[in-house]
Amino acid sequence: MKSKLVFIIVLRFILLILAQVFIFNKINLGGYLNPMVYLMFILLLPFEIPKNLVLVISFVLGLSIDLFTGSIGLHAGAATFMAFMRPLSFRLISSGRDFESGILPGIGDLGYVWFISYTLFLTFFHQLFYFTFESFSFSDIGIMIFRIIINTLLTTILIVLIDLLFKPQVKRK
Amino acid sequence: MRNLFNFLYKNSFFFLFLILEIIAFLLIFANNSYQRSAFISASNGVTSSFLSAVTDATDYFSLKVENEILAKENASLRSELIESNLWHGDSVIMHSDSLKNQFYTFTEARIINNNFQNRNNYLVLNKGSVDGIEAEMGVISPGGVVGIVNQVSKHFSSVISILHNKSAIDAKIVSNGYTGTTHWQGGDYTMGLLNNIPSHAVLKLGDTVVTSGNSTIFPPEISIGVIKDFSLKPGENFYSVDIRYSVDYNKISHVYIVHNLYKEELLKIREGEEDEK
Repeated sequence: MKSKLVFIIVLRFILLILAQVFIFNKINLGGYLNPMVYLMFILLLPFEIPKNLVLVISFVLGLSIDLFTGSIGLHAGAATFMAFMRPLSFRLISSGRDFESGILPGIGDLGYVWFISYTLFLTFFHQLFYFTFESFSFSDIGIMIFRIIINTLLTTILIVLIDLLFKPQVKRK
Repeated sequence: MRNLFNFLYKNSFFFLFLILEIIAFLLIFANNSYQRSAFISASNGVTSSFLSAVTDATDYFSLKVENEILAKENASLRSELIESNLWHGDSVIMHSDSLKNQFYTFTEARIINNNFQNRNNYLVLNKGSVDGIEAEMGVISPGGVVGIVNQVSKHFSSVISILHNKSAIDAKIVSNGYTGTTHWQGGDYTMGLLNNIPSHAVLKLGDTVVTSGNSTIFPPEISIGVIKDFSLKPGENFYSVDIRYSVDYNKISHVYIVHNLYKEELLKIREGEEDEK
């Protein structure tokens, strides 16, 4: 069971990077939209993984995306920031209750409201970091805020849809 | 000492976060010459071969359009051949090889990584120092100006796109000959700015803007875009002109790298000017 989960996570890591680089980075409407679906990997990591490890994994994930896009350090920093906010999101959204072992983040186990607010919250912090340091000036702050909001929404919608697609079709008692 | 370790251990999450962010920021801000080229050669190994493979596949999708563009360009090049000009009589002398020195040569290259949605965009081309590419060479596509070569590794080169904070290209308005500089202000990747056009110039919407040939990087008369809008603020001596780029930077896949054969001579004489000042 455990090794199966590790296998799934590794596979997800590779597939999401490939999908991000070769599909979602090519989606552009007017040069403003760039959904970052690879964040799904961080969102779907099991609760049991130590948070320090999540930080490192996120950094590596971001750096891998950077390697393909040539935006050195940008995705790595943003993904690490997102991983840093993850424990806070558990506390805020689940109001402190502990998760039973074996429960995975996702619509299947925790329902729509939980997953959508969780995704929205963390994606927002990622986009905030990303676009702030991408433009690195506040001269066109209007465009920046617009891009943060629109990209957060689009990314959240896509992640929820993809999670629905891959939701295990089995029981939930 | 033990207390210190205890403290570090307790807050390890925060400190680890801090360390990773510092690494990320070092990467972001040390993003100039050396690091960038080191990064490009490092990513050559895996990602470039990956990107090349995918470009190989996706090239087929745009094959038809690319063929048309290349065929059109062939036609226009053919019309400039001496043989073609024989039909026109007088122009033969002007185009005769013995009287005309070749000023520029071109290297064909393919884009293997294209960015246009960031504030500062770069492209990666599949030609490098082995093919005689050097930094500061111009890059054009059949439709117009694309960018300037920034870093060169053995088999690849990175190009500062015209869609970059630092891009400044000497431009000329065809109809009246006034020259200025083009910039990109971010946001819409189809629109740019043209500065330094004096207020007494007469502008028309739809006028073509081309490279002026004042720099050693681009040949003259390479298309940049057309005038979309212009305005003159009270008290200003220069127009602010919006131009629509003639190239769709979302779609380009084949480009030419420009070699200026007289670049060193030109630079030398310009250095002479500087010295006299």
